[in-house]
Amino acid sequence: MTGSKIRNGMTRLVPYAFILPPMIYLMVFMFWPLARQMYMSLTNTKIINPNRGRFIGLGNYERLFDDPAFYLSLKVTLLYAVLAVIFGVALGVISALAIDRPFKGRSIVRAILLFGWAVPNVAASLIWLWMYNDRSGIFNRITEFAGIGRFGWLTSIDLALASIVAVTVWQVAPFVMLVVLAALQSVPHEVREAARIDGADGLSTFRAVTLPHIRPAVQLASLLVCVWSIRRFDIIYLLTGGGPVGTTSTLVVKIRQTAFEGHELGMASAYGAVGLVLALAIAAVHYLAEQRRMKWMSR
Amino acid sequence: MLKVLRYLLIGLLVVLAGFPVYWMATTALSLNSELYGTGQVIWPQLQNLPELWRELGQVPIGLWLFNTLLIAAGGTVLSLTLGSLAGYALSRFRFHGKGLVGFLLFMTQVVPEALILVPLYAMFITFGLLNSLIGLVLANVGFSLPVACFVLKGAMDAVPYEIEESAIIDNCPRFSVLTMIILPLIMPSIAAAAVVAFFAGWNEFLFASTFLMDRGNWPASVGLASFVGQYETPMSAVMGAALVFSLPAVVFFLLIQRKIVAGLTAGAVKG
Repeated sequence: MTGSKIRNGMTRLVPYAFILPPMIYLMVFMFWPLARQMYMSLTNTKIINPNRGRFIGLGNYERLFDDPAFYLSLKVTLLYAVLAVIFGVALGVISALAIDRPFKGRSIVRAILLFGWAVPNVAASLIWLWMYNDRSGIFNRITEFAGIGRFGWLTSIDLALASIVAVTVWQVAPFVMLVVLAALQSVPHEVREAARIDGADGLSTFRAVTLPHIRPAVQLASLLVCVWSIRRFDIIYLLTGGGPVGTTSTLVVKIRQTAFEGHELGMASAYGAVGLVLALAIAAVHYLAEQRRMKWMSR
Repeated sequence: MLKVLRYLLIGLLVVLAGFPVYWMATTALSLNSELYGTGQVIWPQLQNLPELWRELGQVPIGLWLFNTLLIAAGGTVLSLTLGSLAGYALSRFRFHGKGLVGFLLFMTQVVPEALILVPLYAMFITFGLLNSLIGLVLANVGFSLPVACFVLKGAMDAVPYEIEESAIIDNCPRFSVLTMIILPLIMPSIAAAAVVAFFAGWNEFLFASTFLMDRGNWPASVGLASFVGQYETPMSAVMGAALVFSLPAVVFFLLIQRKIVAGLTAGAVKG
């Protein structure tokens, strides 16, 4: 009797033996640092002695909210994310629809369309830097040949963000394409055929039959692309370093620069806190849109 | 007519997606005099391959790739170990706080790496992990562990409970059930999770460039990035090194693309 009771108690502990090691790991290397960075934003920590900063209350935030560079950075972050979602998702959906039906050489085409997603970020940055090169880059060679002169793709205030978005779209559109292609497989072919035979044109077949089937996939892909845009550091940092005059300095670029070039860890953490609020806001949308996914997780 | 339009569209997409990679290869096979003077030749000049090989010899790409390999492999082992424990708990048990665990794992996917950069830097100074590959791996795994967990949980859900039931009745420890019965059955998903974790470490740049000051510890991502804005290394060598660095990632991503998508969208689109 007692034995089985003890065994019962033991059995109830078994799941924790499995879940605790990974959760403790995440506590130490993810959630504790997150909490610490919230606290650091209330201190005047400098890089020379990162473990000793004096508590200064909301001083960093007062400076932050007085600084036009902060508002620019917030604006750039949101604009960059929105543009990446719009163009990345549009190109991804178009690609998926273009190669959905079988044709000769489809697997090769599919593989090539995935290149942008598979090439590592740093390598992608290097090749695009070369293509955007002022003097010898392919883009300026083309525009010069076309007689419209050279452009400062990464150095002009009007073009830099668009140039970064172009690289981003090249990287994320393939992922959107894969997600949408998977969803397209669930569209019954007979239904599409029937719609066509009944005289529906391509566009109305798409709207009435295909779109409802791929809508959840497109939604999820948009959210992921948005989240990734806010997280993305390497290509922006390597292509423009946040310049010219801050027109591409997203929050994450700002964090790294304030901390390791400006040596002000407290101030960088204040930027980080704003970034966290932004990430949480998107997570909330994500969460509401994905109740289903959460249920799957804890089913 | 419509068919022609469709093929034109496919052709355009192929050019847009494929050109940068094609140009990377073409640049690697060009001579510096062409790149900065007479103009880059638009087809790959394979006769310049020995020249590229000689130039690559001047770049410590071998050492960088070795460091990258250590970082990626260490991160893979750690995130698969912890990820399979978490995946098994989420797949097979009901317990208090399960909803919270799911939520926290999900949260890690929206946290920008830059947010924990500063606190990790401070922590690594305290524990002497700055400038060490071990510290870098520990930081990376925080982000790759949850993805591994999602992929493995999805695979374990598909394994019927009956398969482990008899072993459990025979009092076989649950840990052995996981390692001896479940894991061997989901090898394809383990391979997929391994590729995802491996290339997360392979590609990582932000943590590596912040935590590793010593050139001897640099992985290829940091080494290649050091070419930005310096003009001593010929552009063809830079592109050649970038190509060598990209090749494994491209090959493996293309091999397991469907599994990666299933992992990242697990539970959202189907099920």
